[in-house]
Amino acid sequence: MISRRALELATAVLTGSFGVAVVVSSLDNGIGWSSAGVDSGTFPFLTGIIIVLGSLYNLVRGILPVATLANIPVAVTPTEMRRLAGLFVPAVIFVAAIPLLGMYLAAALYIFAVLAIPMHQSVLRSLATAAATALALYFVFERMFQVSLPHGALAAAFGF
Amino acid sequence: MDNFQELLHGFTIAITVPHLALMVVGVLLGILVGVLPGLGAPNGVSLLLPLTFGMQPVSAIILLSSMYWGALFGGSVTSILFNIPGEPSSVATTFDGYPMARDGRPTTALATAFGSAAFGALIGVILITFLASWVAQVALAFGPAEYFAVYFLAFASFVGMGGAAPIKTVVALAIGFAIAAIGIDTVSGSVRLTMGVDELVKGVNFVVAVMGLFGIGELLVAVEEEFHARAVSSKIDWREVFRAVGRLPRHSVALLRSAAIGCWMGITPGGPTAASFMSYGIARRFSRRGRYFGTGEVEGIISPETADHAAGTSALLPMLSLGIPGSATAAVMMGGLMIWGLNPGPMLFVDQKDFVWGLIASMYVGNIVAVVLVLLTVPVFAALMRIPFVIIAPLIVIICVVGAYSVSNSYLDVVMMLGFGIVGYLFKKLFYPLAPLVLAIVIGDKAEDAFRQSMLMSKGSLGIFFANKLVTCLIVAGIALVLLPLVLQLARLGRKPASPTSETTAQEKVII
Repeated sequence: MISRRALELATAVLTGSFGVAVVVSSLDNGIGWSSAGVDSGTFPFLTGIIIVLGSLYNLVRGILPVATLANIPVAVTPTEMRRLAGLFVPAVIFVAAIPLLGMYLAAALYIFAVLAIPMHQSVLRSLATAAATALALYFVFERMFQVSLPHGALAAAFGF
Repeated sequence: MDNFQELLHGFTIAITVPHLALMVVGVLLGILVGVLPGLGAPNGVSLLLPLTFGMQPVSAIILLSSMYWGALFGGSVTSILFNIPGEPSSVATTFDGYPMARDGRPTTALATAFGSAAFGALIGVILITFLASWVAQVALAFGPAEYFAVYFLAFASFVGMGGAAPIKTVVALAIGFAIAAIGIDTVSGSVRLTMGVDELVKGVNFVVAVMGLFGIGELLVAVEEEFHARAVSSKIDWREVFRAVGRLPRHSVALLRSAAIGCWMGITPGGPTAASFMSYGIARRFSRRGRYFGTGEVEGIISPETADHAAGTSALLPMLSLGIPGSATAAVMMGGLMIWGLNPGPMLFVDQKDFVWGLIASMYVGNIVAVVLVLLTVPVFAALMRIPFVIIAPLIVIICVVGAYSVSNSYLDVVMMLGFGIVGYLFKKLFYPLAPLVLAIVIGDKAEDAFRQSMLMSKGSLGIFFANKLVTCLIVAGIALVLLPLVLQLARLGRKPASPTSETTAQEKVII
């Protein structure tokens, strides 16, 4: 279970650290005024400062026991967490597999896995859906629009 | 009268067989992305973008804008029939649309929604027809300082009127600016904010951000709740359609008020979502039958729908005449304009007359096409909703992955897209607004350039932003808008010293 407060804090920390990274990185480009006008780091530097300050404000607001936050203390329940993971984890594995397997094979395996393993569909129907997805991708992109999707290291090893 | 002649010329461009065919395709695809939760208008338009590179710009914009109209209509279909908003901007339609449909009057609810939506869109297009070229004329005289002031005003109105918590809006905007700055600086040519990743030199494409923020983010929010598509009957009774539309004039006050709210929120970028919520809230307060809202009131459907479409349409006005998109989808379209080699802004009305007036004329025709098509296809798309979400969700993931990859054939883009997905989920969950973030990514560079050019002109003095009446007015109005939430809060504190400070904004209250 994740409370709304924890989620607010995590997000504020996330945006704040992005702000700090922007500020630090923009210092390399120089901030302020030079012979060529406003230095290229100035604008990012200012936005970085705004992000940091805004995140600090959101952080404090997240910690303070504000009445409306107390009304909805739970942001994500365990069941919702499971559903989220059920969608996101396979998606990450799918993306991670693209360089090795290529878009078509990875997409087909991904569809097959999310349909057949939790038994939303029978193995046969899952196989059919997976194959149809890969074929549709191939025809729409490779054939109709001439956009080459990654074929993967495995396909390259076999000489495709 | 000049405008009228230009418009007639525009119709000769818009009403040709290929363009009408593009409208039909665009509207159908738009309804599709509008119906599917997790795919919205910004995503849909970004997905189509790479396919338009070989087209004439005017054909391309007709396709993309038709898709936008379709998506706006499609979102209302699922809101009314399934109580599932297909688009964020049609959330407010569920409040009265679904109860009415459940009461056995789905046709009445749908026809009322489409009729008032078409009215809202019509008002928006008329506004564009008469105002856009005038605004562009004024804007032709703008220098960098005026431009920066207009950008500033646009961003400030998000903070002051966007409906989300002001500081969260500021953070979202600033993050967008920082993301826009990644890559090669257009003025000095130096590389910025790549944090050691060489591939980031090319910058972060807005399509990648949109796919993640709106696509994966919305999907994650949607998957949390188990969908039960308990559909009410999706049969259309054509006689009832005409009767329901015939009853609309009785609610002309609500129609006009909602259209005005919508146009205002579309032009001063507040966006369709904020507009529909605001219109619903105001209608509930001022309608004589306000206390029956939520049980299937006609005006409870009219108000959000009219405002939603008026805002969606008029969001194209600042995009065409100033180069400032009024909504997230308009921002994506503007990105497209730049890719096609057009320069959004007042010069369009001088150099690209065919493009501008072809587009404006197509908005009249496109909305008629959209109303007809959406009525005809309601049963088809309603059947689509019966496909279980567990099958649709991974397909949408694949679409987003392929969409992000095909922008520039880069695997890093796909990984970044997933990262944007997490950000999108967190932001949606905690009511950070996404539209200003996308807007800042698209026009961040232009705003920065305008600022730096003005600084060069004034040799580093901020006085240039107060050098003449126009620029001073814009800047002062912008500052006033930024301070507006603060002033309102102080006023509230002054009246009721003990009242707990409310973090929840109007929009959140309705959602919660």
